[in-house]
Amino acid sequence: MEERELFAQYRATHDLALRNEIVGKYLYIASMLAKKFVGRGVEYDDLYQVASLALLKGVDRFDETLGVKFSTFITPTIAGEIKNYFRDRSRLIHLPRRVAELRHTVKQAADKFLTETGRSPTPKELAAELKISEEEVVAAMEPQGVVSLDRPSEDGAGSAYDLIPDPDDAFERIERKDAVQSAMKCLDEREREIVSFRFGKEFSQAETAKQLGVSQMYVSRMERKILEKLRENLRKSMAD
Amino acid sequence: MKLMTLEFPLSRDIMTTVRLVTGGVCSLVGFDLESAEDCKVCVTESLLLLLHGGCKTATIEFSKGTALSVLISGEGNGQDGEEMEEEISVALLRALVSDLEMTREGSLTRISFGFGL
Repeated sequence: MEERELFAQYRATHDLALRNEIVGKYLYIASMLAKKFVGRGVEYDDLYQVASLALLKGVDRFDETLGVKFSTFITPTIAGEIKNYFRDRSRLIHLPRRVAELRHTVKQAADKFLTETGRSPTPKELAAELKISEEEVVAAMEPQGVVSLDRPSEDGAGSAYDLIPDPDDAFERIERKDAVQSAMKCLDEREREIVSFRFGKEFSQAETAKQLGVSQMYVSRMERKILEKLRENLRKSMAD
Repeated sequence: MKLMTLEFPLSRDIMTTVRLVTGGVCSLVGFDLESAEDCKVCVTESLLLLLHGGCKTATIEFSKGTALSVLISGEGNGQDGEEMEEEISVALLRALVSDLEMTREGSLTRISFGFGL
């Protein structure tokens, strides 16, 4: 049946079987357009669903008597729905991990910016905020392949979900604590006191100086020295 | 003011590179993320139209005035591609930009559009 005839018949009968036939016939447009918008932080499957619903609504709204082809009519309708969806929600995990983390960071910063200013940020603004280059922001926005969180990871050792760093990973926390405690052994008592005030109790340099009865300059100098000692100690223990 | 001209052999393999460059140009002129993504879609669709038209090479000119103007051209044998895919590409371009111009003269295809700054 010709396109025009098909729509005329559907308009006259509102037969659901006919509507399903039309939707089935043009579902490839939804798929094609969903693919074109992949890489903005939303999974293809979600975009395909949004596009399919837009197609379904479009079939009811299309007027074949206006002389426009259905594909010409439905493309901007679907594109519009997809763009609305982006404004409502966007989240994506990309591999490899570094790209995924960077993309996540860029997305979070963009959301925060949007909330605070009411407008979408430029890559330059994001780069300044995140202290990374504009190129990194732009590259992080570029799709590297969209995957499901449940898809097995490339080494087959788990799912993509397992690769997402847990900000509250107990093992990592224990490891960090152990490394810091071990590194602290290279410090003398006064140095440990300074670390305790500055990084344990989170006192300012001036407050720390007051507690120890020394000048703020002294604390500043000691802090630099201590951090260098700790860094060196951690480097050595990692090399071992 | 002309910002950049890209000339390259046209193939699907080069699309990601062109998208990255387009993203860089959008960053340079201060577009927000959404406009930059839309611009990348428009450049990609234009190149697909050239590919369908049988073009073997393409040129993209980015210019900055009151808008970011993009002129994409290519020469090919004018073979007929997938008609439906072309229709969708054109409809998508029209949905994303308001000043789309497309011409085919002999073997030369030119597509231009602008994004407001």
